[in-house]
Amino acid sequence: MGTFYTIIISDYKQRTRSYAFLVTLAISLYFAHSFVPAADAKYTTVRIGNYIGVQNAAWIGYVTAMMTSVFLSMTGFYLTNSGIKKDVDTGVGEIVATTPISNLNYLLAKAWSNFLVLLSITACVFVMGIALFFIRSGGYPFEVVQFILPYLVITVPTIFFIAALAVTGEVFLYRYAILMNIGYFFFFCAMGTLDAGGAGVLDLFGNTPVATAMQETVLHHYHDANTALSMGFNFGGKKAIHSFIFEGVHWTAASVLSRALWIGLGLLLIFISSKFFHRFNIRQKIKAKKKSKFPKIIPQAVILKDIKLSELPPVTSAYGIFPFIKTELLMLFRKGPRWLWLINLGGMIALAFAPLTVAHQIILPILWFLQVGRWSDLATKEKTNRIHYFTYASYRPLTRLLPAQIMAGIILSLVLASPLLVRYLVAMQFLPLVSIVMGGGFIVLFAVALGILSGGKKLFEILFFMFTYANVELVPFTDYFGGINHNVNYLVLIAGLIAFLAFVSFMLRRLEISRV
Amino acid sequence: MKLSIQNISKRFNKEKYGLKDYSLTIENGILGLLGPNGAGKSTLMKIIATISRPTTGSVELDGHNILQDPDYIRKMLGYLPQDFGVYANLNAYEFLEYIAAMKGVGGPNLRKRVEALLEGVNLIESAKSPIGTYSGGMKQRIGIAQALLNDPKVLIFDEPTVGLDPEERMRFRNLISDLAQNSIIILSSHIVSDIETIADEVAIMQGGMLITKGTQAEVIKQVDGRVFESVLESTALPDFKTKHLVVNTSRQKDKVLVRYISIEPVNGSVPAPASLEDAYLFLTHKSN
Repeated sequence: MGTFYTIIISDYKQRTRSYAFLVTLAISLYFAHSFVPAADAKYTTVRIGNYIGVQNAAWIGYVTAMMTSVFLSMTGFYLTNSGIKKDVDTGVGEIVATTPISNLNYLLAKAWSNFLVLLSITACVFVMGIALFFIRSGGYPFEVVQFILPYLVITVPTIFFIAALAVTGEVFLYRYAILMNIGYFFFFCAMGTLDAGGAGVLDLFGNTPVATAMQETVLHHYHDANTALSMGFNFGGKKAIHSFIFEGVHWTAASVLSRALWIGLGLLLIFISSKFFHRFNIRQKIKAKKKSKFPKIIPQAVILKDIKLSELPPVTSAYGIFPFIKTELLMLFRKGPRWLWLINLGGMIALAFAPLTVAHQIILPILWFLQVGRWSDLATKEKTNRIHYFTYASYRPLTRLLPAQIMAGIILSLVLASPLLVRYLVAMQFLPLVSIVMGGGFIVLFAVALGILSGGKKLFEILFFMFTYANVELVPFTDYFGGINHNVNYLVLIAGLIAFLAFVSFMLRRLEISRV
Repeated sequence: MKLSIQNISKRFNKEKYGLKDYSLTIENGILGLLGPNGAGKSTLMKIIATISRPTTGSVELDGHNILQDPDYIRKMLGYLPQDFGVYANLNAYEFLEYIAAMKGVGGPNLRKRVEALLEGVNLIESAKSPIGTYSGGMKQRIGIAQALLNDPKVLIFDEPTVGLDPEERMRFRNLISDLAQNSIIILSSHIVSDIETIADEVAIMQGGMLITKGTQAEVIKQVDGRVFESVLESTALPDFKTKHLVVNTSRQKDKVLVRYISIEPVNGSVPAPASLEDAYLFLTHKSN
């Protein structure tokens, strides 16, 4: 048991001692701060019909626990789904494979480590929740149990399942990270739909018992028929909001058991995964154009020809960025499984024929999200592939390579959006057309800036996922491509953001180059 | 060409220095850098390659301060880092053309040059395969080829022979010796014999400082007359090691032939001709 504990803690330490984790934690805390809106805020998070709770311990405790459960379901998977990959990339996995540790114990250790990472964030949100209670100081008594209980029963089972699911995803889809990321997006959407519909046992986020208790309270005091649960960042309609006193949930054994089932399901997933785990007996899959032509181990050439370097044809200077753009596009194209391009093609056809609003508001953000794996390491792949020593010692790396990477990313976004762009062009609607072009620029620069800032691709993946989910839910302030907002002021705002992201990207890269 | 390194220091934190008040002048030819792990060889090479900046000091190439104007040297630089990677799903042609673009090299002759270099490093047969399918030695050779793409005048090779088989090592030596007349070539290696067979000059480093620099003959001279060989009982070896700097041992049935460096040889010892390895071990040991 001691050894198992050591493995978990060591893994946990190496994952949390990273800049990316700190940035993710900071962003999580920023969001957590907004989980319980101030009295004068223009939005609500948890709402029962037209009612929100007074800011007593029960309301703040339960609301933050519910929101954390949803938030970490949304982001936690992306944050933790590379623990095994890291062992593959670093070669540690091959050492692990030669040790007596069983597949089950190794995967369990990874799942527990994932869980601890998410639990750390949860703990920070928990403390922030208590701090918010005292800051808001509504004069209500402090009841610590109203904080502890919801986190234990709602949040903890959810994050444990997510931690286990991340391990399972890595086991079964280790060669298809893009598919794993996209697949989880749809899984989360499905879980969100089930949650909204009162899913009972299938409620991953654990919100149903709380929503029921809140609805019963409202019904009991106000006899209002409209007690629909509304969760998320809801803007507008706050003027008509009334308050009620929520006193927590009376947890029954059955409801606690239904939450514990998610922990059991997580363990079951790990058990099943252990039966199929590759145990690092893998070969990196490289896409060769004609696979049969290339044997896996290429034999050495027998006839050796000596060359004299001084007699080689002279080369001429060429300081343009076109060759970079060409190669960056080539790498973007080759990344991920080939069949994903069929889905892209399907998305482009849908952009061409779906109703214009649906194409712009729903299909375009999803089609762009499918490129998450291509964009997320656009400006970090030099470091992850250890090419940066060549890059940073090259001629004018800041003003040649980085612009080429950004341009290649934008070209990809515009090629994918081209059917919609053509439709707007034909319809002479230039505002949405420009919005889409700027949206492509924004998301690529967002990927580049976050990549360089965090030194990895996780942060962008998490935020892009959140953006896309919010886009599909038609949340206005995440609309970076003009799906909802059609006005010039909005375009100016996006242009400002693009300029800011470009400035940040170049400054950060300059700093990075000087600090190798 | 003349590369002048003046009093550079690289400080990592309050107590740890990568380089300490290091000065060196390098002219056309091959300079071999020798030193134990952590001696500062890679740090020095990264500074010359403009990847890293020293905390203090200056680096000039033909009078140009390359710390202020790194692009001056970058146009004529070939650099092979110790620990580098590749883009796994590009083939050798695509990868080299990509690196060529970084170096600002193009024109109609680029493809011919790439092909010639691939022949030179014996990768032409597999040049159209994705680099991800290459063995470690093949990746090292693609690294060597990229360093030579732009007809470099300053070449920096950090452990270039790692992963190469003896034949490839010989080919590498032949390949770069051709350039030594008109270029500055700096190479580091843990394999003293690699340096011994190729370098015009040798610099030995330890603890971020330069211990000595000179031609091989000059460096070896520092240990001349101090190298001996003696046959000992196996059981006497541990005690012998505490009193003398043993540079090599070879088993001979129940006895052991010891090569050692000492001012006062033990009875029965015979003088042996000094090698660069002897000098290296003696100087780094003395420095400790």
